[in-house]
Amino acid sequence: MTKEHETKGIKSRFSMFGLKVFVILILVSLVMTACGGSTTTPTATVGTSATEITPTEAPTDGGADATVRFGWLGAPDTLNPAYAFLSESWTIFHLIYSTLTTQAIDGSYVGLLAKDWSVSEDGLTWTYHLKEGFKWHNGEPFTADQLAWAINAIMKDPEGWATVANYAAGFLEVTAPDANTLVIVTEYPIGNMDYRTSFLYAFYPPDFENFTTAEELQNYPNDQAIGTGAFILNTFNKDSGVVLLDANKDYAYGAPKIAGIIFQTFDNGDAMVQALKVGDVDALTSVPASAYETVQGYANVKAMTTDNTYFYELIINSVDPNNDPAPTGNPALADPAVRLAMAYSLNKQDLVDIVMQGLAAPGDSIIAPAMGGGFWHDPNMKDIPFDTAMANSTLEDAGYTLGSDGVRSKGDLRLEFRLQFPSTTPVYARVADMMVDWFKQAGIKITPQSMDEDSLIAATTPTGDYDLVIWAWEPDPDPDFILSVMTTDQFVDGGWSDSGYHNPEYDQLYLDQQQLVDKTARQQAIWKMQEMVFNDMPYIVLFYEDLLQAYRTDRFTGFIESPLGIEATESLLNVTPVK
Amino acid sequence: MNRRDYLLRRLGLSVVTILVVFVINFLLFRVLPGDPIRSVIGRNIRISAETQQALREQFGLDKPVFPDQLLDTFGQWARGNLGISWSLRRPVSEVLMSKLWNTVILIGLGQILAIILGVILGLLAGWKRKTALDVGALTFSLVAWAIPTFWLGIILLAAGSTWFGFPTAGIVSPANTGKPLITVLPDLAHHLFLPTLTLTILYLGEYMLIMRSSILEVLSEDYILTAKAKGLSDWQVLWRHALRNAMLPIVTLIALNLGFTIAGAIYIETVFSYDGLGKLFQTALTKQDYPLLQGAFILLAVSVIIANLAADLLYTVLDPRVKES
Repeated sequence: MTKEHETKGIKSRFSMFGLKVFVILILVSLVMTACGGSTTTPTATVGTSATEITPTEAPTDGGADATVRFGWLGAPDTLNPAYAFLSESWTIFHLIYSTLTTQAIDGSYVGLLAKDWSVSEDGLTWTYHLKEGFKWHNGEPFTADQLAWAINAIMKDPEGWATVANYAAGFLEVTAPDANTLVIVTEYPIGNMDYRTSFLYAFYPPDFENFTTAEELQNYPNDQAIGTGAFILNTFNKDSGVVLLDANKDYAYGAPKIAGIIFQTFDNGDAMVQALKVGDVDALTSVPASAYETVQGYANVKAMTTDNTYFYELIINSVDPNNDPAPTGNPALADPAVRLAMAYSLNKQDLVDIVMQGLAAPGDSIIAPAMGGGFWHDPNMKDIPFDTAMANSTLEDAGYTLGSDGVRSKGDLRLEFRLQFPSTTPVYARVADMMVDWFKQAGIKITPQSMDEDSLIAATTPTGDYDLVIWAWEPDPDPDFILSVMTTDQFVDGGWSDSGYHNPEYDQLYLDQQQLVDKTARQQAIWKMQEMVFNDMPYIVLFYEDLLQAYRTDRFTGFIESPLGIEATESLLNVTPVK
Repeated sequence: MNRRDYLLRRLGLSVVTILVVFVINFLLFRVLPGDPIRSVIGRNIRISAETQQALREQFGLDKPVFPDQLLDTFGQWARGNLGISWSLRRPVSEVLMSKLWNTVILIGLGQILAIILGVILGLLAGWKRKTALDVGALTFSLVAWAIPTFWLGIILLAAGSTWFGFPTAGIVSPANTGKPLITVLPDLAHHLFLPTLTLTILYLGEYMLIMRSSILEVLSEDYILTAKAKGLSDWQVLWRHALRNAMLPIVTLIALNLGFTIAGAIYIETVFSYDGLGKLFQTALTKQDYPLLQGAFILLAVSVIIANLAADLLYTVLDPRVKES
């Protein structure tokens, strides 16, 4: 057979192929050518037991130009509060739903649905008087019995309402004696009731009435959510993650001055920053640290840093040697002198300046100064300074002598440790690299190892198969959760203790603070707990990462900077389009 | 062996391959270290130990991998059910289908443009060998082939959005979210331009280089000399005699690339926040979402197997020597 013959088969097919390509090319070209391309600030007056948000005036503008477009690097996983894991979902909940109380930008708790509230002498009965004028987004009036139904639904089915059940733990009974009064009776005094009620959303009962199993409830997307909040859900696209919200013109505290909000998801930070530069979005809920300096230089863009509660820590294996399974950590870590020498060997300011490019603050306590407006952070703690000489003398005094290989040892105890960290961000690796040198100067050898986050969880809780770990926490607005991380009870499968810290006195204080309704008494207990963690060093807190945000000043004005972010309801109620 | 037997044998082999892929698919993700439930929720402060256990039970993770999980999974697959995504809490088939067409549109357009331009450029470069055109095309193709995807995407995104107003993310504008794509074609085209251009440049180099070397080889054949001696024009020699034979390797390459098309372009979809399969794979992997990963890999494997089957069958038509052997 000749080559001429061989090519005949191709001829007809190639012609067909060419024709199809030509047609598609024409279509593409056609499609391509088609492209073109006053109000008063809502302020919160904090009283002893009653607060109120000042109403706003009517909106001044409408339409697409008055819609704030946010870019963020995430997306809500669901709009069903029964089972929402991701923080983006909770941002949306706060905008479309109302709660009895809410956290104000100064960190205090103020009334939202509640006009005022009081607690009985025994700390067991909370009475809330509701503000009038709230309506559901479908126009129906809101009444106290609907909120009572919502909280009761959570209390009756904690398995189904998995992600909000903790906020109603210890509630015995919730009733509505009249349309504007709600009474919550609790099993024991609850120290952080204002915080808890800021997460118990008034969701629309008909949306959640007909579920018979927890799985059925949790799989409900709630993408037509009806609330009483400042913004009305227009669209939530599960695939693209886009959320469109409209301003609620009938909002009880006055309509927002913007027409609505768009949250658009970006999969990489560079593209998101570029979108802000060219005006594709008006604001970013989080600016990548590596791009912050660049964003500062953009025309008509304001970039800002805000103190935050997010902290990075060095975890020192503190697991009880009698634990089952037995921990594999180097026993030298149990020596307070070794821990102290490590603390002396950490140059936190360098970590802030070099690794974080100045966009952080050196840390000391697991409760950051930014939490609750500074109320919970213990101001009496004095951080251990970076001092290599002190690190060496501390170890020398404790009997650890320097070997010929530059590593200290005492008997069988050799100061050589594994240092593990998650592979999720390069920050951990940079911190580890700097630690290697600092620790080496004190005669401590560490071997850094990057790991998947889930592997790290498996290595820490409840196995204790590690020496040192660098990790980070984004705590709740209330100290309770981050304090719980240090309790003995949490060092179980599925628990949150990774250090294995076990201190009965700490555990008792933790239980006590939960029931201290008096804020000052609770503050004192929490300060003492912080000191215990600081002195025993299951964690050495390295630094608090700043919240980095930005917005276009040629589009909107009035964003309020706070640890809650410029996307908080209070901030967005204050935002006005630039004329 | 007649054509029917050959077809049946190839089909049978493909089915066996798919079954092997199913088994490997099941095992592969379960040898990963760590707890998938913790991986899905991360350091999530709202999930208690009890809730984590309830999740494990709900997804059958509290049962042994052998034989319980294996039988459950194969039973579901046999019924055409790919399961529920743990992280998205939606049926895997629904999630995959919602992304499939987005990826097919993007990769399809990019591939078609890359094929057309690459073949034309390779043909001209080979025909005009050692001219400025050849050197220029060769340099461009080598550079295009060597450029990291992510880097090219970011550069085009920055330039395109700054100077030409192209959008920075998504498949359509947020305001058009949820509308049928057919009703928002101009917006879709606007969003598709930069990712398609990136993909075209990246693949164009490959097609150009293959086409150039192929045409050079063909041009040295005796029958080309004969054609020229017959007095045919350059165009006739190129079109009738050289191009057809030189296209054989390109057809192979197209078949191979189309097989992988379904995998999407992870980097391109990530740069342009494009809601496609590539991005979904990445998310599923980081979340250790077994059902989603399994579904995605089955889709990918089946696509590659079908594309290879199609290429095998096409070869029997294009090259009779294959059938004879």
